[in-house]
Amino acid sequence: MNERSSVEIYTEWDVVAARQLGRDEAKSIGFGTVDQARITTAISELARNIYLYAGTGKIEIRRLHDGVKKGMMIISSDNGPGIPDVRKVMEDGFTTSGGLGAGMPGVQRLVDEFKIETEVGVGTTITAIKWLR
Amino acid sequence: MNNQIIKNLQKHKEEVMYAWIEEMKNEKGEKFFQYMPEHLVEKTSREFTALMLSNIEEGEDVSDEQSMEFATKIVRFGWSISFINTAIDRFSKVVFKHLEREGVVNGENYSRFFELHLNWIEPLRRSIIQSYSLEWERTFNLQKIALQELSASLIPVFEKISVMPLVGTIDTERAKLIMENLLEGVVEQRAEVVLLDITGVPVVDTMVAHHLIQAADAVRLVGSKCLLVGIRPEIAQTIVTLGIDLTDFLTTSTLQKGMEKALRLTNREIKEVE
Amino acid sequence: MNMRIPILKLYDTLIVSIQWELDDRTALQFQEDLMEKLHETEASGVLIDLTAIDFIDSFIAKVIGDVIQMSSLMGAKVVITGIQPAVAITLIELGIRLEGVLTALDLENGLDKLHKELED
Repeated sequence: MNERSSVEIYTEWDVVAARQLGRDEAKSIGFGTVDQARITTAISELARNIYLYAGTGKIEIRRLHDGVKKGMMIISSDNGPGIPDVRKVMEDGFTTSGGLGAGMPGVQRLVDEFKIETEVGVGTTITAIKWLR
Repeated sequence: MNNQIIKNLQKHKEEVMYAWIEEMKNEKGEKFFQYMPEHLVEKTSREFTALMLSNIEEGEDVSDEQSMEFATKIVRFGWSISFINTAIDRFSKVVFKHLEREGVVNGENYSRFFELHLNWIEPLRRSIIQSYSLEWERTFNLQKIALQELSASLIPVFEKISVMPLVGTIDTERAKLIMENLLEGVVEQRAEVVLLDITGVPVVDTMVAHHLIQAADAVRLVGSKCLLVGIRPEIAQTIVTLGIDLTDFLTTSTLQKGMEKALRLTNREIKEVE
Repeated sequence: MNMRIPILKLYDTLIVSIQWELDDRTALQFQEDLMEKLHETEASGVLIDLTAIDFIDSFIAKVIGDVIQMSSLMGAKVVITGIQPAVAITLIELGIRLEGVLTALDLENGLDKLHKELED
């Protein structure tokens, strides 16, 4: 039931490709302009984080349909250094890149569900879901 | 297996129905049987009895499909769920008493009735509760949509000035909708000043204030100015007590004062003509 | 694939209309070009129109913020016009407030605002 598509992140251009994929999918699922902007921006932030902190990784997009609700799942995964203190990155205003990136709390506010799984030295997987209202 | 019971019930349909109506009349707190016109009570009761019995006629167990159909019809009677529950209980009791009197059920084959109850009454009850909760969910969702539709429209009052009156409690979902309507309206109406009127908002807590601040911030980004008007004394008190910072906000106590300010901001004023 | 954003000069104002999605490199190139042009023309005001932009992430927002600061260092005021509702909402939710940035609904209002600012 859940279709998926993905973009591998190697260069800055892949950030653009990932958010374009996200926007197209969001549009075809039927999200309004504001939610399209939220989704596109969230993907852009996640993809950029991969590029900045892990070097390479993947943005995967799945369509969700649980019978009643339709939605979209964004999975950002990398094999980078991982996040030593998840609580800290979830604090507003925390950044390690000197002003780049709105940080994870910002991304969390753009979506309906948000989960970080990370292990130092292994990598990070972030799952975000936006439901169609 | 239950042929004897079924045949007997078929034959004494009317009897069972009237006994049931009598039982229901004695039910305290149920106004339907006490106040409704006689013919209406009889009509509905006949339908109810027919529905109850129609399921048993088919023979063995009641299929899911049948019970759902039955439940949908019962829900349409418009009775409360507790009333329906009572009605089923009383019906079951009446049927048992009747069968006992008729000698179809006695101490020796009591288990027959128990089986009947298990395969007939209980599935019906389950499906009624199920379709009730479905109906509830549907109503709840419709009301939610209705509430969203009624919330927050931006009204152009003068050139460059629009007003959005907010009425009722603001939760996160509504706040998002308000923000979208507000911004899209501002851009569409080319409003240079918008008045956000919170006279009709009963409580302004930290969360509501946060949403209002966000809305005003977003209005600033699209190139307009947001005035918060209709701040009642008790709202002013809570805002200060909670330590909410609204200093970036232009605020006034009434819509009228806000409108004067908005006109000033757009280099205009209202003059009396001789 | 190096698209440059055209920068127009009208009297003492530079006018920029961004018509397509900004990628990082284009954004940085624009920053550089604008500073160059400011230096060259000694313009006192800059109008950046974002009507056609349907999303802004934190990187683009930072570039815009930097452009405003740099322009101010070079003695020019910047007004941003035409930020779309969806973009404004997303920025606020992201936590990017763009405080102190001058904004206007459209180019016309933007020019008025710029002139008022420059008079003060």
